Parts: sequence; structure tokens; C-alpha cells
Amino acid sequence: MSHVDEGTLHAYLDGELPSAERAALEAHLADCATCRANLTEERALRERATAVLGSARPAERPAPPLEQLRREPQGSPWRVRRSFAWAASIALALGLGYYMRSPGASPVASVSPAPAEPVAVARNRAVATEEDKTPARPQSQRRPGERQASRPVDEVVVVAREAPRGDSATPALRLADSVKLDAGAVSGALARAERDRASAAPASVIVDGAPARQLGSTAWPMINRRLARSILGEEPVGLPGLATRAFRRAPGTDGTVVVEQVLDSSTVIQIFQRPAYPYDSSGSGSINEGRSRPRAYASEDRARERSNLRFGRFVRGLRVEITGPLSADSLNRLLEQVAPLPPLP
Amino acid sequence: MPDDIAEVYRSTYPALVRFLYRKVWDAERAEDLAQEAFARALVHRPENTRGWLFVVAANMARDEARRAAREKRHLTLLKSEPDAVHSSPEEDIDAATRTKRVRAALDDLTPRDREALLLWDAGMSYDEIAAQTGLARGAIGTTLARARRRLVEAYDAGLEGGQHVARG
Repeated sequence: MSHVDEGTLHAYLDGELPSAERAALEAHLADCATCRANLTEERALRERATAVLGSARPAERPAPPLEQLRREPQGSPWRVRRSFAWAASIALALGLGYYMRSPGASPVASVSPAPAEPVAVARNRAVATEEDKTPARPQSQRRPGERQASRPVDEVVVVAREAPRGDSATPALRLADSVKLDAGAVSGALARAERDRASAAPASVIVDGAPARQLGSTAWPMINRRLARSILGEEPVGLPGLATRAFRRAPGTDGTVVVEQVLDSSTVIQIFQRPAYPYDSSGSGSINEGRSRPRAYASEDRARERSNLRFGRFVRGLRVEITGPLSADSLNRLLEQVAPLPPLP
Repeated sequence: MPDDIAEVYRSTYPALVRFLYRKVWDAERAEDLAQEAFARALVHRPENTRGWLFVVAANMARDEARRAAREKRHLTLLKSEPDAVHSSPEEDIDAATRTKRVRAALDDLTPRDREALLLWDAGMSYDEIAAQTGLARGAIGTTLARARRRLVEAYDAGLEGGQHVARG
């Protein structure tokens, strides 16, 4: 038998040599001083390499609970907390429209600094059709009768892309744009993940359904539109032009109905509403009362903070509150857009 | 039947972080990527969770490295400053310097040798390394032997000369 090659010796040292080969090798080693010397040499090399490699290792920190990852399928808040500067820089880039917005500034001024972002946001979406562009017409709560039928999500995205180009776009549409950018900021912390999603499932597999599991009130029974109206005593309210995903009612006899509307595939807005007077004896109409809510979909601390906010106002006879994984500013503006949904045909 | 991810998480997370660390050379980023990989595994429920994780992690690290290379291109001059000229015993040089030298030594390996070595160090078997790298199982021993020799030689050369040996 010729001398044993170093690869075989390493496989032997690694405990990876098949048993038949191992037996043959050991038999040979008993007779061959050269190979025994080589084995000693290779063992030292192997140990040295392990030591060298082992000298460059990260400090071992405990893994975050797996549950944490399960709840945040696109990324862990642990990461964001530790690497906040990094996350913030991406959020700043993607959410420029939002960050440039001063509370009192007009939506027009706030959107224009980031003309490129909506394009990036919309890049992976369905191609716009001529039909899709029709929403770029004046539309607000003050014109509730106009084109309020629920639209598919993609159209909202197209609006977000188209809006900055036209100076004549309405505040409502600019709002959609700014909110879209804001949602981009939330998911921006995961931009890296999205870049190499080629090896993962389509984004929708990860995103779709996640909010449904995570929104606190989604365990509430689903009801249909007619029952919602019956409970409320009038037409439920929502955001004009957004697809309504579900109507739900609170357990018990609270009289609260929640309308879930889809801003984009990863952003669900919940609009809580109940008859104001029978149930709200305090008469409290305070706007912007912060209230602790079960956490909605959030992928970073900032988003969690946002989603804990719940804003309220009265719309006709309803006490209406809104919540969602958006900034306080966005939620407030969305709340202002809430109007009765168009009556069923 | 997919593996129990919780069990894989418990047993493999530190190794995956270590594996990623030696690719991105940033402990926090390594943890980020490892967590991201597990988060994806929770969604995908792959059959062979461990192997799948390392494939995904390697891909993420590669993309990360490409981006970092682009971003750091303009810093080349800064990076080329010579290593510490003194030659210290291993136990005396500080951790950052040691890490830098290990990194430089690893850079001297061919990508395939380096991958095999890091996977072995992460606790993968020859079979798993073969599946991951596309190498024949019978070639893993030779690959690891070469990788180890090269690593040690490059590391020692870095210690002695303060310069990396020429890239191979």
C-alpha cells in the first residue's frame, strides 16, 4: 500500500472516513512509520487551524426567543434595536417623504422631496393599466359618493406611484402616497431581506396573512356588511377608495365594529367604530388619545410605538378610532379621511 | 416531515452566527442575518432545516459582501495601511488585530476551500458539506486539508511579515 494522502488523513481525523477505509488505514498505519509521522503532522495542522479560526469568533450572545422571529417573519426587532442607526438610515431614505413632513406642512410640500421613492415602492407591483389611473381624480370624504367601491390593492400602489407626478393630485391621493412611503419606512428595515428574496417565497407568502395573525382584534368574529350596518345603526365608515378586507364585531354586546382596510399587502388599517351616544356616556371626543392596544403588525420599535397609538373622532353618530402600523401623523391624516362607506347597491 | 425548527434553532444558532461572522466580519450583522435566516425557515418549513439555513445564510452573506465591496471601494487606500509591524505572540495581540489576521488568512483561501472549512467549523458533516458545496464527498478531506494548511500558512505569514502573502 502506498502512503496515505493527506485528504484521507484529515477525513480520518475528522471521524468521517467510512469504516472499511478506516480499518484499512489503521492497519496501514501500524506498519508505516512515514504515515504515522504524517498523521501526527496533520493532526497538529488540524488543531492549529481550528485554533486560528476559533480565535476569530463573535462574542456569543443568547439567541432571541424563536417566538420573536415567528412573530416578526420579516425580521427581528432585536436587530433593529441593536443596529438602530443602520435601520434609521434606511428608514430615512425610504421614508423621506414622511420625515420631510413637518406637522403643519401641506402634503404637497411633503411629498415632493422624494419623487423617486414611490417608483421604488411600486416596482414589484402589477403593471398599471389605464383603468388604474382613474383614481388620480379628486376624491375625499366630502365627496363620498364618488368612486368609493373597493379597489384592489394594486391600484392603491399605482396611485402612490403616480401621485407625485401630477400637481393636480388631490390631498387624499397625496396622503396615500405619503402613507405608502411611510409603510416603506417600516419595511425598509428589511430592505436587505427583500433584496435576496429570490431564494425565498414570493413576498406575498411572507407578508400576506401576517397582519391577520397579529392584529389584536382579528380574533373577533367576521360579519358581513349588512350586519355591521345593523349593529351601528348606520353605514360603517372607512377610508374611501381602500379595499375593505373584513368587517368584524367585538365579542359580547359592546356594539363595536371594526372595518379592516388594506393599504398595501403589508399594511392593514383597522377602523373601530361604535354608536357614540349609547355606549360613550363620557362624551369624550378627545382626539389623539393615546391608548394601549394589542400590538399590530410591526417590524421595529418605531412601528410598535406607532401601532400602539389609536386616534379617535366622531363621524356622524359614530365614535371612530383608527389604528395601524403607521406613524401618528399618517394615522391622524387617515382618520380625517374616514367617511361613511357607500351604501350597498 | 420538516425538522423541529425550535430544536434546530437551539442547537444551530450559535454556529450559524459564527459562520456568518466569518463572512461579514460584523458580529451584529451576523446575528441579524442568522435571525433573518431562521425567520425565513419559519415561513418555508424546509425539509432539511439545517442545510437550508446554511445555504440561505451563505447567499445572504454573499450579497452582503458584494454590497459592502461596492461601498468600500473608495476606502481602499485607507484599508491598505500596513498591519502592525511588530510581531507578537498570539496570546498577546488584541482580539481586533487577531480577527483582522484571521480574516486576511481566510481571504487567502479559494472560495470553495473557505466555504468547506467554515461549514466544517459550523459543525456540518462531510455529507452536508458535499451537498452544500457540490464537492464530491470523497474530496472533502482533501479540500479541508488544503484549506487548513493554507489558513495556517497565511496566518503565520501575516504574523511574521505584517503583510499578507500574495493572494492565491
